[in-house]
Amino acid sequence: MRERKIVISDPSLRDGNHAVQHALREDQIAAYCKAADAAGVSIVEVGHGNGLGASSLQLGEAATPDHIALATARANLIKSKLGIHVIPGFATIERDLKPALELGVDVVRVASHCTEADICERHISYSRSMGSEVWGCLMMSHMISPALLLEQARKMESYGAEGVVFMDSSGHYIPDDVRQRVETLVDGLSIAVGFHGHNNLGLAIANSMAAADAGATLLDGCARGFGAGAGNTQLEVLVAVLERIGYSTGIDLYKMLDAADLAEKILMKEVPTISSVSVVSGMAGVFSGFMKPVTRIAKEFNIDPRDVFFELGRRKIIAGQEDIILEVAKELAQQAGRR
Amino acid sequence: MKLECQTRIRHDCLQVLHGREKALDVLRQTNLVIIGGTGFVGSWIAEMVATLNDEYQFGIKLSLISRSTDQFAIRLPHFAHRSDVQLIKSDVRQLGQFPMDADWVIHAAANPDVRTHASNPLDTASVIVDGTMSVLRTAERLGRLKKLLYLSSGLVCGSQPASVKGVSESAQGAPTPDASFIYPNAKRFAETLCSAARAQSRIPVLVARPFSFIGPYQSLDTPWAQTTFLSDALRGHPIRLQGDGQVVRSYLYGSDAAYWFLKILTAGQAGDVVNVGSPVGIALQDLAKEVAKNFEPSPDIMFNTAPRSTGKSAQLLPDTTHAQNDYGLSVFTPLEEAIKLTAQWHAMQNN
Amino acid sequence: MTQAKLKIAILGSGNIGTDLLIKAMRSPHLECCAFIGRNLSSSGMVKALSMGVTVSAEGIDYIVKNPECCDLVFDATSAKSHLVHAPIFKKLGIRAIDLTPAKIGLMSVPSVNLADSLAESNINMITCGGQASIPVAYAIGQTQTDVDYIEVVSSIASRSAGPATRQNLDEYIKTTEDGLKEFSGAKRTKAILNLNPAEPCVNMQTTIFAKVKNPDIAKLAEKLEGLVKKICQYVPGYEIILGPIVENDRIVVMVRVRGLGDYLPAYAGNLDIINCAAIAMAEEYAKATGNKSLEGKTDA
Repeated sequence: MRERKIVISDPSLRDGNHAVQHALREDQIAAYCKAADAAGVSIVEVGHGNGLGASSLQLGEAATPDHIALATARANLIKSKLGIHVIPGFATIERDLKPALELGVDVVRVASHCTEADICERHISYSRSMGSEVWGCLMMSHMISPALLLEQARKMESYGAEGVVFMDSSGHYIPDDVRQRVETLVDGLSIAVGFHGHNNLGLAIANSMAAADAGATLLDGCARGFGAGAGNTQLEVLVAVLERIGYSTGIDLYKMLDAADLAEKILMKEVPTISSVSVVSGMAGVFSGFMKPVTRIAKEFNIDPRDVFFELGRRKIIAGQEDIILEVAKELAQQAGRR
Repeated sequence: MKLECQTRIRHDCLQVLHGREKALDVLRQTNLVIIGGTGFVGSWIAEMVATLNDEYQFGIKLSLISRSTDQFAIRLPHFAHRSDVQLIKSDVRQLGQFPMDADWVIHAAANPDVRTHASNPLDTASVIVDGTMSVLRTAERLGRLKKLLYLSSGLVCGSQPASVKGVSESAQGAPTPDASFIYPNAKRFAETLCSAARAQSRIPVLVARPFSFIGPYQSLDTPWAQTTFLSDALRGHPIRLQGDGQVVRSYLYGSDAAYWFLKILTAGQAGDVVNVGSPVGIALQDLAKEVAKNFEPSPDIMFNTAPRSTGKSAQLLPDTTHAQNDYGLSVFTPLEEAIKLTAQWHAMQNN
Repeated sequence: MTQAKLKIAILGSGNIGTDLLIKAMRSPHLECCAFIGRNLSSSGMVKALSMGVTVSAEGIDYIVKNPECCDLVFDATSAKSHLVHAPIFKKLGIRAIDLTPAKIGLMSVPSVNLADSLAESNINMITCGGQASIPVAYAIGQTQTDVDYIEVVSSIASRSAGPATRQNLDEYIKTTEDGLKEFSGAKRTKAILNLNPAEPCVNMQTTIFAKVKNPDIAKLAEKLEGLVKKICQYVPGYEIILGPIVENDRIVVMVRVRGLGDYLPAYAGNLDIINCAAIAMAEEYAKATGNKSLEGKTDA
């Protein structure tokens, strides 16, 4: 019998925003917050897909400005905590974080690429000094070893984070990967450990279970898996599974299912499924945003886009290296020509 | 050096490379810098690189940086006229001229001679600690750097507990912080500096922990078992063992070591730590017998020549599971063969 | 007619200061009379000594004790230190180019506000993203009507961003946004900075987006051509790699900056552009004061 508390953090209204090009409106935010609050979800995360202050031409403009989204959410969350995702370099303390805290944000999750934890120092310190609950988040965490992940997590711990969430941003992990990382983190940190899964390989639930069993005390999930591409860990399913295996989340299952039904109806255009491209990008561990340029360039060179994805994964290419796609395509085309 | 000695070294390198050279393909047409490059490790890597260039057309450009480049030129004169090798005389602590187009750097600068550690502990520490800091600061400015391999020491985890068969990379022990252990303590700190440089400046550094080696280019003047036994035998003296000969050590041959280092340098991930050495232990009395086998007439072996037990720990062997499983490395030249090759090489040199 | 070189000093012997040193020594208009830090055995100091430059480990005290040593100083120490140094420079009549995050003086972009910069005794080079994007933002401001919004996204190699950069991301964003507004007249501005840990290290790349009424690309392209020529005179690695184009109703320009690799790696174009701009400003001071002193010269 597991018998442990798991805190559920629900970024349907944040990570889900990626699936609708950040177009979530006030009324959608209000309705879902009410439902999540009624279900007893611990933390509801709201905002642009890339977090506070990320609304931009580069990443997509949010239909609802941060301050309105947060005020709306705040008004509709009575028991649940209001959370935000904050990436230094996009969000600043003065312009974005301070006003957000003034609007009543309870939980601040300061995030960076898995190798860049030290950019989070000031935002984490500030949030702590303002009395907020603070977590650190490490994105695309599959790109470094568990030992290096621990090193980055330790930096966040030293800045004052009360917990660290590591994210499977490209849906690459299998349960063993997750177990190993959670064990390493739990062993090496004195703060809480959380896991954020994606479903490219259909393993988000299993991965989340492995995380819980290895000692993680916070799990992320989105209603109906609401998120870009193959989607996030499907929250209502996760809640059911956790209940089944003996963890307590404080969430009323029926009301969570109702919230998921509502989310399907009013938040998303379609329920996320795992497409062939998602399988490949998940296996390759490649940033999902490459899909468009890879498809386009592969067509130009008359090669299989899936081969390109795997090669990009092998080279550990990350967002911002789109020029390498062209290089890889050329090489693969040449090799195909020689065969 | 006699031609037959050069040929022997070349042959040893070819033996190790045969069927394994492809794994080093990423070195082709790149620039490799070895700091402290004129000692045992540097010499063997230089020989391995020369072999890769001559026999497999690798086109590696090698730079060897050391305080003792003059000695290198004397000991390895066949390198003097190679266009693919440049010698740079410099103290590691004050790296003036440095090839800024380096793709790979191996930092092997330190003096493993225990006599220097005993007589000059501060200078020993300075070369290791200040030297490593200097290398790491320089590495910050190397635009093409792919990997920096730091040669630490198998001694950084302190002595081997009796309960384990080999010291693994994650062993929790440490040498005691006193002057007698200045060398392993300095090496341990230097490893920490490497980790810090990786964390702060993102330098792609990884660490190898060398255990014991044997082979040509190892000065017989050093006070180690493998060198003193050979030295005794070559001089026609009996082989003297200070203790009861039960202490267990292991020895990796020079050509094997060179290949191991190059493989780890090129295939390793930043932040990795890898033991380099043979996992196969041999009691010193057996080592003495092996050495003796290679000489005609076979020298006598004298035990307990020291007034009392040396008190050294019973064994020091690396656990090489990581090197084996993750790098596909193993002992290519069995110890018997390694001792034979070394004895013959020295004999050839002397004749 | 040959002019006397402008006597300059560099305060701060880290990588930035040492890179400035190499550039200054190469300049026909500048003479580095002092390379000042706190640690005589740092690699920068060793380099300076090897170049025959006077070094000192006394910090600002050296300048206080030797006020005649220079007419212009590059301050590459820290924001905190610059706040202490600035009044001292002012009192001694030494022009200051501030390379720290302090930025208490005039924001300076050589290709855009040279004359104004020359009139000031304390200028700063804004930020790397600022130096890369402000000329483009300026061109947009000059050639387009109703500049509503300008957004600048810069991506630099993770290895080129040390602790100072990482702890000052917010200041970077604010300063860049202020600079963009100042030089373009845009109603709103936004700056984003990405640290890219990819290997091999990426060059600095900056994308400028602008929302304007009725974009006139031809006019913008013409203005940019002239500006880029000027910029390349002091930042040879500056290149527009895309645009100006209109995409989805906004103007897009992409700039790449490759560093010279004098002391810092070539991928650190972000550090190089600041240093090149700082040196360019010093050279302009040199040329301006050289002319003045020749005019009003009485005694040598």
